[in-house]
Amino acid sequence: MENFSEVIEIFFSLDNFLAIAIGVVIGVVVGSIPGLTATMAVALALPFTFSMQPVAAILLLVGIYKGGMYGGSITAILIRTPGSPASACTLLDGYPMAQQGHAKKALKAALYSSVIADFISNIALIFFAAYLAKIALNFGAPEFFWLICFSLTIIISLASGSMIKGLMAALLGILLSLVGLDEVFGSQRFTFGNYNLMDSISFIPLLIGLFAIPEIIEFYRKKALPHIKAKASGAGLSFSELKRCLTTIVRGSLIGVIIGAIPGTGATAAAFISYSDARRRSPNRANFGKGEVEGVAAAEAGNNGVAGATMIPLLSLGIPGDVITAIILGAFMVHGLTPGPLMFQENLSLIYALFMGIMFSSVVLLLVGNVAIKYFSLIADIPKSVLFPIVLMFCVYGAYAVNNDTFDIWVMMAFGVMGYIFNRAAIPAAPFLIGFILGPMFEDNLRRSLLIGHNDLSIFVRGPITWAFIALTVGSISLALYRFISARREARNAAAKSQEV
Amino acid sequence: MNKFLSSAYLAACTSALALGLTLSSASADEWPTNDVRLVVPYAPGGTTDVLSRRVADLLQQELDANVIVENRPGAGSTVGTGRLSRGGRDADHTILMASPGHTIGAAIYPDLTYDPVEDFVFLQNMIDIPNVMVVPADSPYENVIDFVEAAKEENMTFSHSGVGSSIHMSGELFKTLTDTNLTAVPFAGSGAALPALLGGDVDVAFENMPTVLSHIRSGDLRALAVTSAERSEYLPDVPTLSEIGEYNLDQFITTAWFGLIAHSSFPEEAQSKMREALANVMEREEFLDFAEQLGAEPGQVAGEEFKQFIVEDLKRWEDVAEQAGISQ
Repeated sequence: MENFSEVIEIFFSLDNFLAIAIGVVIGVVVGSIPGLTATMAVALALPFTFSMQPVAAILLLVGIYKGGMYGGSITAILIRTPGSPASACTLLDGYPMAQQGHAKKALKAALYSSVIADFISNIALIFFAAYLAKIALNFGAPEFFWLICFSLTIIISLASGSMIKGLMAALLGILLSLVGLDEVFGSQRFTFGNYNLMDSISFIPLLIGLFAIPEIIEFYRKKALPHIKAKASGAGLSFSELKRCLTTIVRGSLIGVIIGAIPGTGATAAAFISYSDARRRSPNRANFGKGEVEGVAAAEAGNNGVAGATMIPLLSLGIPGDVITAIILGAFMVHGLTPGPLMFQENLSLIYALFMGIMFSSVVLLLVGNVAIKYFSLIADIPKSVLFPIVLMFCVYGAYAVNNDTFDIWVMMAFGVMGYIFNRAAIPAAPFLIGFILGPMFEDNLRRSLLIGHNDLSIFVRGPITWAFIALTVGSISLALYRFISARREARNAAAKSQEV
Repeated sequence: MNKFLSSAYLAACTSALALGLTLSSASADEWPTNDVRLVVPYAPGGTTDVLSRRVADLLQQELDANVIVENRPGAGSTVGTGRLSRGGRDADHTILMASPGHTIGAAIYPDLTYDPVEDFVFLQNMIDIPNVMVVPADSPYENVIDFVEAAKEENMTFSHSGVGSSIHMSGELFKTLTDTNLTAVPFAGSGAALPALLGGDVDVAFENMPTVLSHIRSGDLRALAVTSAERSEYLPDVPTLSEIGEYNLDQFITTAWFGLIAHSSFPEEAQSKMREALANVMEREEFLDFAEQLGAEPGQVAGEEFKQFIVEDLKRWEDVAEQAGISQ
C-alpha cells in the first residue's frame, strides 16, 4: 500500500497507545460495576475526546467499549451480578463455577474467550466489512423475524429440567416485555398510568434484581451459605480446557460477528444464541447451567464477537448498530469525519491506523484482564457477611444509576423477589430473559414486515435468507422434539427394565 | 493629628464606599452561586446528549462555574421535563436541553403533569437541524411532485425512528398535507431505520440531515427536498418542501430544534446572564464547527421569540397527532 508509511505515522504515537490502555482499564472497571455500563462510560468519556487527535479519541472510546464488554463478566461470575446486560448469560455457568471453587478458571475462560472473539471480530471488520455490510442491508424485517424465531427455539434447549416451567418462564418474560409504549401506534400498554413504565421495564434493574438479590435473600434467610467454596487461589484455565472450548469460542465469535454486523440486535442476544448453540452441540450438555466452562466461553465469545463487528455497519454504512456505536459516530463527527461509504475513499490511512489500534486493543484487553482477574478474584475470599451488604449497596446504586431514578430501585427489588421465587420453585431464569429480550424483537419485526408488505404474507418467504432461517427454525424444533421423545423413550425403557428385574 | 484623622476618615469613607460598591456589584453578579445542572431528558449518546455536553463544556467557561450534565431519560423526554416542571430547591440553577420531543410529547401524551409553555422560561434556541425527504437511489421518483402523485395512487411506506420522533411526525405531516396513502413503519432509532431505506424496504423517509448526508453525497440515497424554511447550505441544489408550491406543502416548514429552557421560577437575573453567556457560546468557533458537523444551523430565536416558536410548534403537532390518530 502506498500510504503504508502514513498509516504507521498516524498509528505509532504515544497518545494512541495511552488512549487504548486507559480506555480498556476504564472499560473493565466500569463494566464490572453493576449499573454502570460501557455505554455510560463511553458517553461520559466523549467530551474528553473533543480536544484529542481523531484516532486517539476513537481508540479511547473503542477501548472502553471492549473493556466494558469483558468487565461485565467479572461480577457476573463472582457475585452473580451482571455488570452489563450482555454478561447476564455468562453468570449462568460462571457463578456456579465460582461456587464450586473455580472462580479463577471461570474468569480466565471468560477473558480468553473474550479476547479470541474480539480478535476474530476485528479480523472480520478489517477483511470482510464490505461483504458483511451488504448482508446487513439485505437483512430486513422479515429476515429479522425468522432470525428471532430461530433464536426463540433456543428456549427449548435452555429449559433444563421441566419443559413446562421453561415455557412458563419464557411466556412471563414475553408478557413483561409488552409493558410500555406500543411501537406502531404509540399507545400505552400495561403501564397503569405510571409514566415510569412508559419506556418499558428497565432492563438493568431487572437483571440485577433477578440474579443478585435472590442470593442475598438466601444468605440472610439461612444466615450462612455453607456451599460457597470460592477461593481466589483456585486453579486457572488449563490449556487442554481452553482447547476443548476452542471450537465453541470460534463458533460463538462467528455468531457474534453476524449479529454485530446487523444493526439493532445487540450483544445480549448474541451471547444467548451462542450459549444455546454451544449447549445443543456439546457432549457436556447436561452440565450446562451447573458450572460448565464451555458455557462461560460460549457466552463471552458471543458477546465479545459483537464488539468489532458493530463497527462494520458504522464504518462502511455510517449506521450505528447500538447506542455505543452511535456515540462513537458522534465522536467521528466532532472530528470532522463522517463514517459511511465515502470514508474508505477519503480517509483510508486513518481507517487503517484505526484498525491497527483496534487490533492492538485485543492485546491490551488480555493484559489488563489478567491483572484484573488477579485482584478481582480476591473478592471470592471476602467473607459473605461482609461482601453481601456491599453487593446490596452496589445493586441499589446500580439500579438507580441507569436512569437516575428511584423507581428503578423498586423494579430491582420486585424482580429480586421474583428471582427468589424462581430459585425456590426451580424455574429457570434464562428462558425468562430470552423471552424478555427477544419477545419485543419478535413482535416488532412481525408487525414491521406486515406494514412493509402491506399485509401480504408472502413477504415472509421473500428470499434466500428467509428460507435459510425457516429451515434452521424447523430443524431446531425437530431436533428438540426428537431429543425429547428419545429421552422419554429411554426413560420408559429403563423403567420397564427395572420392573422386569 | 487632625490632618491625619481627617485623612484617615476620608480613607475609611472611601474604602467603605468602595467596599459597598464592590458588594453591590458582587450581589448583581451573584448568580450562579452553585453548580449549574444541565438536564438531558434522553439517555446518553443521542444528538441531544452530545450537543448538551458540548454546550456544557463551553458554557462553564463563559459562566465561570461548573456545568454538570445529568441524563434523566424516559417516555420521550417527558420524564426529565416533568421533573424540571416541579421546580424544587435547585430550580434556579437547573436548565434543560429541550428538543421537538418537548412539543411532540405534549401533543401526543394528553395526561402530562405540566404545561409545556407556561411552566417554563425559554432561554435560547441553540441549533436547528433540518429533516430531508429521501428515497433510495433506485427509486423511480425524481422529485416531490412525482412522489406525491404516485402515493395518491398506490400504498407507500415511510420509515421512522420511533413514535413521536420529529422524523415520524414529519412523515405524518406530509401525509396529512398531501392526502397521500403513506404508512408509517416504526424502527428503534435511525440506526435501525436507515438500512430499511437503503435496502429499499420502505419508499421514503424524512430523516435528520446528519443521518443521511453522507449517503446522499455517495449516491445511495436521493434527496427530494429539505423541510426547513430555507435551502440548506449542505444541499444547496435540493429544494425546500415549502417551495414546491402544490399540495399544501407551502405549510411544511419544520426543523429538529434544540434549545435550553428552565423552570418558570428561574430568576430574571439568571435568565439575562444565561442568555448573554449562551449568545457568547454560540459565537465561539468550537460551537460553530460542532454545529457544522451535525449539519445544523445555529438557532435563531431566544426569550419571548423562542416561546412564541414553541407555541406554534405545539399547535402544529397537536393538529398532526389528532389527524393521524396518534394521541392517546
